[in-house]
Amino acid sequence: MKRQPRAFFALDFGSATTSAALIGRVGIRWRLVAHAAAPASTPLDLQLFDLLGKVHAADADLLASFNPDSGLDGRPDITALAAILPRLEARSTPPRRIAVLAGSRRQRIQLESAASRAGWLVVSGSADEDDPVTLSRLVLSPNVGAVLLGADHSPSGDEKRHLPMLAALVAAADRCRSELTVVLAGGAGVHEGAFPEAYGRAVVAVPTASAATSAAAEAGGTTAAVARSHNVLIAPESAAGEPAGAALQQVLEGLRAESNDSRLGFARSISSLASVLDRSIEGIEIGLQGGLRCRAERLTAGSKTIVSWHAAPASASFAPPDPDDATIEGLVAWSPVALDRYRVTDRLRDLRIFPWGDVEGDGALLRAAAAKAATERAIVATPDISARPMADLIVAGGGTWASMPAPLAALALADLVRRPGVSRLAVDHARLLGPLGAIEDEAERCDMLSDLADDLLVLLGTVIMPAGMRQGRSAGKLTVRPGEPKTAAEAGRTIAVPPIELDMRPGSLEAIDLAPGQTATVAMEFRDNVRLTNRGRNFAVDVDGGLVGLLVDLREVPLRVSDRSEARRAALEAWQRVVWAETDG
Amino acid sequence: MGRDGRMIEPELLSMEALESAMARIASRPLLLHSPTIRFVLAPGDRALVAPGEAVLPGTPLAERTPDAAFVDVGRITFVPVGEPAPTAPEGAPDAPSEAATAAVEGAYETKVAPKHSLSFPKRAAIWHGGSRPSPDVPPLSGPERRCPPSPGKWWVGGVDLRGRSHRRRSAPRRIAGTLLFEVGGRWHAAAGERHEIVEAPAAGIICEARNGIHITMTLSGIAIPAAVGAGGAARGYLDVPRLADGELWASALDVGRAGAIVVAGSRISAQGISRARAMSIRGLIAASVGQGELRDLAASETRQRASLHQPAPFGLLSFDGHQRRPMASPVLALLAALAGRDVAIVTDPPMLVFDVEDLALPEIAPDWVRVRSGPHAGREGRYLSPAGMHQFRVGINLEAAFVRLGDDLAPTVVSMSDLERFV
Repeated sequence: MKRQPRAFFALDFGSATTSAALIGRVGIRWRLVAHAAAPASTPLDLQLFDLLGKVHAADADLLASFNPDSGLDGRPDITALAAILPRLEARSTPPRRIAVLAGSRRQRIQLESAASRAGWLVVSGSADEDDPVTLSRLVLSPNVGAVLLGADHSPSGDEKRHLPMLAALVAAADRCRSELTVVLAGGAGVHEGAFPEAYGRAVVAVPTASAATSAAAEAGGTTAAVARSHNVLIAPESAAGEPAGAALQQVLEGLRAESNDSRLGFARSISSLASVLDRSIEGIEIGLQGGLRCRAERLTAGSKTIVSWHAAPASASFAPPDPDDATIEGLVAWSPVALDRYRVTDRLRDLRIFPWGDVEGDGALLRAAAAKAATERAIVATPDISARPMADLIVAGGGTWASMPAPLAALALADLVRRPGVSRLAVDHARLLGPLGAIEDEAERCDMLSDLADDLLVLLGTVIMPAGMRQGRSAGKLTVRPGEPKTAAEAGRTIAVPPIELDMRPGSLEAIDLAPGQTATVAMEFRDNVRLTNRGRNFAVDVDGGLVGLLVDLREVPLRVSDRSEARRAALEAWQRVVWAETDG
Repeated sequence: MGRDGRMIEPELLSMEALESAMARIASRPLLLHSPTIRFVLAPGDRALVAPGEAVLPGTPLAERTPDAAFVDVGRITFVPVGEPAPTAPEGAPDAPSEAATAAVEGAYETKVAPKHSLSFPKRAAIWHGGSRPSPDVPPLSGPERRCPPSPGKWWVGGVDLRGRSHRRRSAPRRIAGTLLFEVGGRWHAAAGERHEIVEAPAAGIICEARNGIHITMTLSGIAIPAAVGAGGAARGYLDVPRLADGELWASALDVGRAGAIVVAGSRISAQGISRARAMSIRGLIAASVGQGELRDLAASETRQRASLHQPAPFGLLSFDGHQRRPMASPVLALLAALAGRDVAIVTDPPMLVFDVEDLALPEIAPDWVRVRSGPHAGREGRYLSPAGMHQFRVGINLEAAFVRLGDDLAPTVVSMSDLERFV
């Protein structure tokens, strides 16, 4: 009789790299045993053999305990073990393109926003701006997989008069391309009679105001199942849901993403993690095919209900397929070294072709700048999340963040997620959140995350970010009183650590060493009222250490950097030098 | 590294260990057999081939309508073959003559009632009095003629359908394109006066052919995959003016190379592209091409398309991407072996296609690797052994390997993620 496996692989198949992690039962808990990432072209079996080989070299007994077939004294057969261990898989859904058509420019912009937040690559046109040949070119392009035709629930004159023509145009395209999926949103739904040859229809009900809550992420898979068997969908209008467009975004997300999509899995895991850790969490995931920004928190203090928001804009790819001038400008703006725009364009396009290469030296700096520019695009696309208070924990995920040096990752998060408050910064270093999000049962996922909470995130440190300080003079005094190191406390020893005092100069960025596992209490006395956790002068907060330590970020909120390129680069370089001494090489 | 800072010679791997180590390096296929290629069509374009049809190089595949405009065709009544034409609808007493004069070439079973109609007798006089348009548009196939109007169907109309005055023209012009959609019983089309024929760059079998959408075909030959393609599909003899990995001077692109596809070395310059097009060269191949040059090429293509004459097809291929680096030696050896033979540039997906069966493939050592990116980009050498985790510049730790690059005496530590091998 075979025993149940005591270990499994968590696999995240990204577009650029594949991450494999071995999770095993150690004692009474699930623990992260080992993990590694390799270019997506590397054979998976080889990657798993390597992983198991390393575990065997480090602790052969532990590996033997994971084998359900081996006896206590049997040497594990790594090849067999790699084949029999269960696999929890998440996968980046290949990019898909949608053509958005509307009767008016206003409606087109709303529809575009919903489609973009759902992760689609969007091409769009409106009947009041483009001629029917241009619109036909959009929907007949073989690169387009779906068409979204939308109108207000009660369309006004400007778009109403165009709707019959648009419906006929889309219906004609549907006849020519049976593989096309058509989504009729809002008032466009009344024209479903124009699709007599459609081989199925599905009406997707308007989700309630809680569309943005935890149900939103869960519903993705269900909608996807519906969408696969139909090629005409009747969807809610572009303004439905909370925030506006959330209902349509949910439908389009289900249409685009596969059931085990790693990006949506990341959002689901963040939601579960917020429940497990009882903290508000913001997640930022950046990959080759797009990015994701999500947030989850309790509805109210003490409530068991978790509310969550998420958007997965394809424009948040760190190497977009066709970078325009604005994308290049955004990247150059975050680079601490002078870059020629044409050369950057070439390097960014090469990164798209060969995304796992050029990781060292200048390549690392370029990647960091590209990741920051992509994160900025994700933040711009999610004003609803930016409007929320600073999260207790900010988690960066995806291959881009996992491969970035920890100081650069911490600085990037502090540069971009700028709201007054105190937040822990962490990286999903083993890329576990995506595969764990593929666990369908919420309770099971929470149990797994509860066990793995200490392993799955690498804490970079804590950032303190006050706002509203007066420039030009000292803002006050900050005192850090480190707690006893965890190892010493566990050993029953008492180590006296002297407090660290800091004069707070507005506009500066300070890094204070605080090792992983170490905690501290920070007391701040400001001269004037400032905004931190609330408005006041005196604050005392508990902070956690990490690979970078404590960042006291007294720069402006939002960040203001000179428009002059030289001054801007000098400022970026100075801030980078604070956290990353290796910059000089 | 030794204590004195010098690199210690790593131990050589056994064949089995080498195979295992090489499998961890990203592979790059040198050749693709029978690849599938695609020609994207737009509204107004039609396919001239059918699925399953075998085509040879130069066979017309599609007819493009580069300046397709929106045309209100009007009502089209489908009359099945063998049935008498229905009586004219009320209010259109001269409809039968219209059926004749609208002259939907090849579409004898349809009758067209155009929106912008002149008086019908005048139109009849214009049509029959003027010289008949040259048959530059291939006739419709039988099955297409016999089917009722539907989106994507080829449609041919007359001068008045564009609302232009016939007085400005010495002879009537015909417009043609594809039907788009029908609203309120009236058909609309994307049509234009000018048409361009797209020819097959290589022999193959048509997989799918849909008007206004795309044509896909499986080639019967072999292809060298590339990273970037621009321009259009082009065919010519392969000219390899130099085998070193330098850059070809633009002045070397003279009229003597007209009709050739020229291997331009490590980089294609904007000046080289302009000169090549002026000298009727069919294509350029290099290791890299910058985005600026591609932008110039796209602008030049747009300008040429606006001219009255159909521009000669011109293609551009880059095997490695956009940043400057020398061409990979196995690729260069393949191109040298193909010199003087007929090859074709295909851009979707980008590849160089040839039909040569007896090509001598270059021998590649089992431990041969190339540095794809990073500070040693473009250099090649022999993989020696794994170097484990190595700290690179700016303090980044990566899995690395010892590689003997070129004629270097000491091995170099290269990040595994920067290496590629040829398969």
